[in-house]
Amino acid sequence: MSPPRKRGPNFLQKNLGSRFRGNDDWVAFPSSQQPAALRYIAAGMNLEPILALAGKLAAPYDLATMLAEVMDAATQVLGAERASVWLYQPETDELVLRVASDIAPVRLAAGTGIVGTCARTRQVINVPDCYADARFDPGVDRKSGYRTRCLLALPLIDHMGALVGVMQVLNKRHGVFDTGDEALGGVLAAQCAVALQRTLMMQQVIEAEKLRREMETARAVQMSTLPAAMPQVPGYDLYGTFQPADLTGGDTFDLALTEQGLLIVLGDATGHGIGAALSVTQLHAMLRMALRLGADLELAYRSVNNQLAERLPADRYITAFIGLLDPATHRLRFHSGGQAPILCYRAERASFEEHEPTSFPLAAMPLERLRPATTLELQPGDVLALLTDGIYECENARGEQFGVERVRRLIAERHDAPMAELAAALLRAAQAFAGEAPQADDMTMVLVRREPPGARRAFRRGTESLAQIFAFTADAVIEPELRRTVDLVIEELFTNIVKYGRASDTMISVDIRRHGRGVRVTLTDPDAEYFDPQSARQPDVGAPLERREPGGLGLHLVRELVDTLEYRYSREERTGRILFSLGGSDAVH
Amino acid sequence: MLSIELGAPGTVRIAGRFDAAQCQTVQAYLDKLEGTVTLDCGRLEYISSAGLGVLLKTQKRLMAAGGKLRLTEVNRHLRDIFRYSGFDQIFDIEPAGE
Repeated sequence: MSPPRKRGPNFLQKNLGSRFRGNDDWVAFPSSQQPAALRYIAAGMNLEPILALAGKLAAPYDLATMLAEVMDAATQVLGAERASVWLYQPETDELVLRVASDIAPVRLAAGTGIVGTCARTRQVINVPDCYADARFDPGVDRKSGYRTRCLLALPLIDHMGALVGVMQVLNKRHGVFDTGDEALGGVLAAQCAVALQRTLMMQQVIEAEKLRREMETARAVQMSTLPAAMPQVPGYDLYGTFQPADLTGGDTFDLALTEQGLLIVLGDATGHGIGAALSVTQLHAMLRMALRLGADLELAYRSVNNQLAERLPADRYITAFIGLLDPATHRLRFHSGGQAPILCYRAERASFEEHEPTSFPLAAMPLERLRPATTLELQPGDVLALLTDGIYECENARGEQFGVERVRRLIAERHDAPMAELAAALLRAAQAFAGEAPQADDMTMVLVRREPPGARRAFRRGTESLAQIFAFTADAVIEPELRRTVDLVIEELFTNIVKYGRASDTMISVDIRRHGRGVRVTLTDPDAEYFDPQSARQPDVGAPLERREPGGLGLHLVRELVDTLEYRYSREERTGRILFSLGGSDAVH
Repeated sequence: MLSIELGAPGTVRIAGRFDAAQCQTVQAYLDKLEGTVTLDCGRLEYISSAGLGVLLKTQKRLMAAGGKLRLTEVNRHLRDIFRYSGFDQIFDIEPAGE
């Protein structure tokens, strides 16, 4: 929107030129009358008010003020007693009189009456004697007690040729409206049309902005209920993430330690917007409250369902997984109200179990009795994976869904990575799959892995840490041969990081997990430049003595000794991870 | 821990774990030796590429002066490491009587 500018008579001349010449489609009056209009304005009559108006019309007024300005100007410029502006509503093909000094809002079908005819024909209508014109409705006068003698109806057409409304000017103070008034009114109407259109659009933008702010507030409420940090449960790697779509969606998750065990929740309310957000927020609050009051899983589930059924609108429901895990016995008991699939990756068999919901969605109707909860026992390395349909049903350009198979494949590949990494990999894969398509739904997931036996410890950068590292591996790996190889590979990788990595105060952590007869080891450098040990230069191990250099030998030995070697680097976290496994194959070094 | 000491004439006994943290100590010890030296590896449990680098440097120095480093009593694990690194072609290696 441009600020008000000083405009000289040239402005009007130009406007007359562009608005009144040759474009019969939206010309305000027949082009044969042009000379009269130009003469009228050139004579300099009443120019001041219309110039003042030109300035005002460019101001960022709200609609009511803008309408008042337009009507005020019309009465002044045209020497009339009253003016009114009827706004056109294309959806209903009606004209709506929103403000006209002391006349109540009126609706009028386009095509009826003088104003309606003006809207339909897009022509100026000059009625010197209203009561002699069949189109005139004297009913308005009877109600208001005002007597309309003559009137001028001017179509308001914006610069794109769209009908904005009709301006009606009543009772010329001295006599009736003449062709000069028609011309001047036409200029005025053109200016008013553009100004009104702009104001209406502004109003829409402001309303959209208001709605957006409301959405943001709802989003903030929703986000505030999510756990700020994952609970620390020894022997478990827990991760939950919530990636909202543009609009407030209805997903939630929870991971919280309660007296009854680790609460695991994944919920998805129907619909989008504030209603959905508030539904899941209520679920969240009720559930935590029920557990705090000592309810067991069944009582909590049933009470929350019944409360939600009572409180939520009839068409609203929430699919939700609600489980309690005992970290001591590794037993997970859960109810699922329509939330599926419930995936459990079994590490030992490297296969998936899929579990069915135990009940209908929460809030759908009150629950009298509840089927028994499903019980799972998590074994070392097992991963419970709960994902909302925002991920499963994420679509690509061809309308295909991301689907359960892709999720399974990624989990099978990355089940031994930290759960935060697995979650990031799943989200990245879903987003890559969707391509350019905007995210249609919230993407939410909860991942729970029972850690396989093993140990993790962090060490200072420096060869003096080697003694501590070897003491650590001695605890984790009993078999002397295996341990010696593990030590050698760790030493080579660790000294490589110390030598060539950043001089950082951060510690390098070593994580050792048993895997069958062998081990899986992860070295994590939390302050790393990208360096893939697999791509390191291969030394010539057949060269004669003079040309032998010790460089590159360490990584060469590593590659000779491991079963698998993998490098993962996160640019955002500057974290490098080297994962290797050995001892799993028959060849023991 | 690592220890290195003189044994029979012309023989040095190395025992324990030869990792990157031991390089300076071993290098300083080997730097004093001349001629043909036998390194008794019978009690050497472990060697990493850093240790191999120390042996390589010593071998280069001794051979330039007409001497050399011989490795004796080398266990199977160490022989694997020497083989993977191609060091079995640089040193005379005598396996341990396993």
